[in-house]
Amino acid sequence: MKVHLTLNGQATTLEVAVNETLLAALRRHGIFGVKHGCETGECGACTVLLDGRPVASCVTLAAQAAGHAVTTIEALGEYPEKGWKPTSELHPLQKAFAVSGAIQCGYCTPAMILAAKALLDENPHPTEAEVRDALSGTLCRCTGYVKPVQAVLDAAAELRGEKVIELKSPLAAPPGLFRPPQEEAGPPPVPSSFPPAGGAAGPYPLTATEARLEVRVAQETRPKTTYVGRPEVKVDAVKLALGRPAFAADVEMRGLLVGKILHSPHAHARIKRIDASKARALPGVHAVLTWEDVPRVAHSTAGQSDPIPGPLDFFSLDNKVRFVGDRVAAVAAETEEIARRALELIEVDYEILPAILDPREAQPPDRRTEVAAVFAPEDANSPADESQRLAADGHVRRRSAGLGSPAGANHELQGFPIIHDEPDYVPFGDCDPQRNLAAAIRIDLGDVDAAMLQADHVFVGEYSVPRVQQAPIEPYVCLTYWDEDDRLVIRTSTQVPFHVRRMLAPVLGLPVKRIRVIKPRIGGGFGNKQEVMLEDICAHLTIATGRPVLMEYSRQEQFMASTSRHSMHFRMRTGVMADGTIVANEMLVLSDTGAYGNHALTVTGNTGHKAMSLYDVPNIRFHADIVYTNRPPSGAFRGYGVPQGFFALETHMERIARELGFDPLEFRLKNAVKPGAEHPMSKVWSEGREAHGEIIHTCALEECARAGAEAIGWQRGQGDKGTRRQGDKEKAFPSPPLPLSPSPLRKGLGVALVMQGTAIPNLDMGAASIKLNDDGSFNLLVGATDLGTGSDTVLTQMAAEVLGCPPEDFITYSSDTDFTPFDKGAYASSTTYISGAAVVRAAQQVAEQMREVAARMLSAQGPAVEPYEITLEERRAWAPDGRSVTFAEIALHSLHHAQQHQIMGSGSWVSPDSPPPFAAQFAEVTVDTETGQVRVDKLVMALDCGVIINPATASGQVEGGMTQALGYALCEEMVFDQAGRLIPTDFQKYHIFRADEMPEMRVIFVETFEPTHPFGVKAVAEIPLDGVAPAVANAVYDATGVLIPSIPLLPEKVWRALREA
Amino acid sequence: MKPAPFKYYAPVTVDEALAHLAEHGYEAKPLAGGQSLIPLLNFRLARPSVIVDLNNISELFYIRPDDGGLLIGAMTRQRQVEHDPLVAERAPLVHEVMPQIAYPQIRTRGTFGGSLAHADPSAELVAVNIALNGRFRLRSQAAERWVPADEFFVGLFTTALEPEELLVEVALPPMPPRSGWAFQQITRRHHDFCIAGVAVVVTLNDRGQCEQARMVFLSAGDRPVIAHQAAEMLKGHAPSPELIQAAAEKAARDEIDPGSDIHASAEYRRHLAGVLARRVLTQAFERAKARETGKSGNW
Ligand SMILES: Cc1cc2nc3c(=O)[nH]c(=O)nc-3n(C[C@H](O)[C@H](O)[C@H](O)COP(=O)(O)OP(=O)(O)OC[C@H]3O[C@@H](n4cnc5c(N)ncnc54)[C@H](O)[C@@H]3O)c2cc1C
Repeated sequence: MKVHLTLNGQATTLEVAVNETLLAALRRHGIFGVKHGCETGECGACTVLLDGRPVASCVTLAAQAAGHAVTTIEALGEYPEKGWKPTSELHPLQKAFAVSGAIQCGYCTPAMILAAKALLDENPHPTEAEVRDALSGTLCRCTGYVKPVQAVLDAAAELRGEKVIELKSPLAAPPGLFRPPQEEAGPPPVPSSFPPAGGAAGPYPLTATEARLEVRVAQETRPKTTYVGRPEVKVDAVKLALGRPAFAADVEMRGLLVGKILHSPHAHARIKRIDASKARALPGVHAVLTWEDVPRVAHSTAGQSDPIPGPLDFFSLDNKVRFVGDRVAAVAAETEEIARRALELIEVDYEILPAILDPREAQPPDRRTEVAAVFAPEDANSPADESQRLAADGHVRRRSAGLGSPAGANHELQGFPIIHDEPDYVPFGDCDPQRNLAAAIRIDLGDVDAAMLQADHVFVGEYSVPRVQQAPIEPYVCLTYWDEDDRLVIRTSTQVPFHVRRMLAPVLGLPVKRIRVIKPRIGGGFGNKQEVMLEDICAHLTIATGRPVLMEYSRQEQFMASTSRHSMHFRMRTGVMADGTIVANEMLVLSDTGAYGNHALTVTGNTGHKAMSLYDVPNIRFHADIVYTNRPPSGAFRGYGVPQGFFALETHMERIARELGFDPLEFRLKNAVKPGAEHPMSKVWSEGREAHGEIIHTCALEECARAGAEAIGWQRGQGDKGTRRQGDKEKAFPSPPLPLSPSPLRKGLGVALVMQGTAIPNLDMGAASIKLNDDGSFNLLVGATDLGTGSDTVLTQMAAEVLGCPPEDFITYSSDTDFTPFDKGAYASSTTYISGAAVVRAAQQVAEQMREVAARMLSAQGPAVEPYEITLEERRAWAPDGRSVTFAEIALHSLHHAQQHQIMGSGSWVSPDSPPPFAAQFAEVTVDTETGQVRVDKLVMALDCGVIINPATASGQVEGGMTQALGYALCEEMVFDQAGRLIPTDFQKYHIFRADEMPEMRVIFVETFEPTHPFGVKAVAEIPLDGVAPAVANAVYDATGVLIPSIPLLPEKVWRALREA
Repeated sequence: MKPAPFKYYAPVTVDEALAHLAEHGYEAKPLAGGQSLIPLLNFRLARPSVIVDLNNISELFYIRPDDGGLLIGAMTRQRQVEHDPLVAERAPLVHEVMPQIAYPQIRTRGTFGGSLAHADPSAELVAVNIALNGRFRLRSQAAERWVPADEFFVGLFTTALEPEELLVEVALPPMPPRSGWAFQQITRRHHDFCIAGVAVVVTLNDRGQCEQARMVFLSAGDRPVIAHQAAEMLKGHAPSPELIQAAAEKAARDEIDPGSDIHASAEYRRHLAGVLARRVLTQAFERAKARETGKSGNW
């Protein structure tokens, strides 16, 4: 049908299907600023203005736009400079979003800007609460909303004529971003009554936007820099603010087919018969692929360096399905509608196999490892129901079973499900598919058992953490096509373009050189896209049809058929002397890798490598089993196993400190690793490769702890938990109040100390190349994969620093396997450190060549100058006597005039060190002891991640990371039913934080200068995820006297724990 | 994601819409704000062969005073109800819950009547309309009838509406003098459908005794639950903390029938219902008293 509407101010007629959503119709007509994030109106990425008001276009029919005005981001603003034609420039909101650092991946930016515009059109003087309400319908997984809220308030001020936002560099620090620390207020009053649940402000009070950022230099070694250390506007901010078609799906292509996957309805089954003939006969269907059609190549989906440190246990299509959501078949058809009908026409006969849905029951009872035996359900005959178990999880259970305890009872082995029984399984390391063991780790340092016997106290505790989803707002999306050279092009939303190319070549039967992988802008990844998950099947469909194929996951598919964070069970055993010295520390882990062994070894290895290195203990044991279950594959998720480990470690330490009557912070600092020490686990673990001991050169953990303690008011204590700071055990644990007591609310403070790593030593490699253009600008080509983190920007700042010109002189491009040099990709917190050092090397080569040319030019004009005497600054090469030539003159000279050559350089970097960033994370909570609700009022993170290249992007990483971690602490959890089906498959059941329910957050950078990097940097990206959950659980412990040993701290779980206490 | 194909009508009068419904019966679905229906269509959980879009029927969008009370057209957007001064004045309970429903984007489209016709037992407006003694006007081509709110919701997502009927109007009577109201819910996070929720309207007589208490529980069964027994306990007595506690416990123990899901067990829901009932009754009686003594001037 024809729909007449006003689209972005123009009378327009769109040809649409009656059953088409407005989102689909707009994108089909090339309006790519409107984004797909879900199908239920929950994420808001598809927001458009309908007659000036925000609506979710995924739950509006295109037909309903008839006669109305639809406004998308395309109607707002223009690139400020477009040749001779004047432009309308950026809308104040777009400028404010760019300048304030409100744009990370940029996928939800158009929606946020439109929602904010609707607000400001109606209300030029919004309060912060009103801004947060206006943004509450748009989910952002990157920013934590601090900077978007600030941006809207700034834009409102500019629109009122109260201020002018300057987009050009050099920037003033965004107002409010670098406020000095304020006077410490006294303790906040403990409210005497329950905050009204509801009412205009809602049950959660809104907090002041305060992204205070303090840089305290712990060492005075930091060199003076011009561009490094400044909050430069992100190099991709303007295009993202304009909603330019920058993402993988934002392309139009003739003959484009839609690819769809048929997912398994069963957790574990063999495909007895599959008949696709009816589907193939459907007009408009171009290919249906089943396991009978594609080559069977065992591979791993984990995007990692060669050789893959894990089993090869995945096949593009297989005759066995291993989780609800596993692939059964794939279809390419002319429209989504036809593709979906074709899926329904595929006939499959399954032989349903018994499934393993609980990692504690993954190993055959008579052949359990010692680790598995520790976690085996007490009654092996009654399979534990996860939800029951979670609900019943109360206090720490003490158990005496040692490692050598006898394994489970004799059990009828016949029919015990073996998830990987395929003969072409390629094992790795200590895996044992015959007992569903994807990987095993056994690390012993010193003599733990002997030390435990010597210890004055031994504490044993069990802890568990759930499976959670990365939930990038842009789901998996991939486009494949044959180019004019019949090379296969894969345009994909990936964190690992070079691994995609290398790993898919054998799977597709193509040499590496016949594949080109393009990584456009990415709508968030957080580890989810460190996986080669959609590219293979999309490429198979292109090979089968010869046509371009676009595959996009729905939100439901994204939940049930992608990767997630490993759930883990822990048993901690710690030996402590009377003076508080830890002499032995043991962590046993049962980790659930799900149906495939991608990241099995490396994630859980990282758990121990980081968590067990924070406290410098001579005797350490880290034993882990990583087991297969019939659940979706686990994978990489920002933090990579470390948040799991720190939840167990840091709640355990809290218990020890309190039971022994120590101040939790002092107890930790006493035992924490110090600068100059050897990284405890570095000598025994390096992702399954040969390990080399590393020295920790920089560690400002103590300064972080002091700064954070001051910011949260640690010393002032809290009214509710009595005198625990004095170590008075009696009063330290008040019993929960009676239901009729005047106020059921209790406040508490909690802390966790954490560390992470910076890249995988001796393995992670990044490279960059730089060339000089005629006008003195540069092309900076990096393989590093900016997925919204701002790495393109900080890499540019480093190049700018070396070359002495502002970042806007660079055309930065990442990443395309045809053009950019290799980089292993965006993971392991490595980009600023590894790829940054590569950029510095490339820039130094270019600088050297420029100095040579400049010296020749200047010597020809006057007194002789040597290249080494020349400095590059302010776009000029300067002789010591003050003469100079511009970069443009150098470029023209070397390209056109004399001794012509292209000034260019390339650099690579790999580091033998993985310098750990350190942090102290604090939480302040209010607990409603009657209902079990936990409200986090404030989060503080003080961190040492070396020199901060860009305080705006770095603090954005921290705020966004803390927000994800807050979900981990409070409300995110992937729960499965008895048949292994994931229950939360949308953002209604799986809740991630919204703009109007955020706590106050404070970020404090304590800078050190890490000597192993030219600019002294360490990583910042992952560490914010590590300490929030334990800090929150410890704060609840502080408030109520009850330590809850598992997350998320759902109200019911807290209520039960308090009731049983 | 795309809905299964259907025939689409966009009538401009109620009569026209009713004619389509009369013709297609069970095959047809009225489309109001679409914020519940279109997600169902997207997932093909609903596959009507005819959609009758009500969005162009201007006679269904209004908020009018009515003898101290209010008349609200079924298609009135939730956002409009949220910001309407007359609603704030005459139905403060409605005014108070509106911002708690979903997000701005959803309230722009979602309608007052659609939320009622959808009959989600955890929807705020469902409980609130019962607490306020709302009455719903239903029309078919052949007839028109008024159904009281407490008879409208007959089961999970099921109402007294016949397939050829439309909900066209909601009448909210004026609140009696010396009345107080309250609404509280516990959600896992903001804007979620609640784990437990209670709406209440209480009225005191001139001696300060409870004359009437309409307490309605959300997420407490397959439909909203009215606590009749608790109301009986309160009636004729001056509200005291002990009485409120006893009534709240009675309702939570004997009158509701909550289920279990991943968000909460039935046992926990029951506990929350009791806590919330005590809190809303306390707040509502306070408001009623304040109004009696003229302390509250805002309505
Ligand atoms: C992300 C999101 C969050 C939400 N959160 C909440 C929340 O917190 N609380 C809450 O209460 N709701 C919530 N909702 C639901 C929202 O309020 C819906 O708008 C509302 O439930 C249905 O109203 P609608 O106008 O959109 O109706 P529609 O979706 O158009 O219709 C719903 C049903 O009612 C029928 N119907 C509609 N109007 C009539 C009529 N006049 N006569 C007869 N039948 C009719 C339709 O045929 C359909 O079966 C949420 C929705 C979304 C998408």
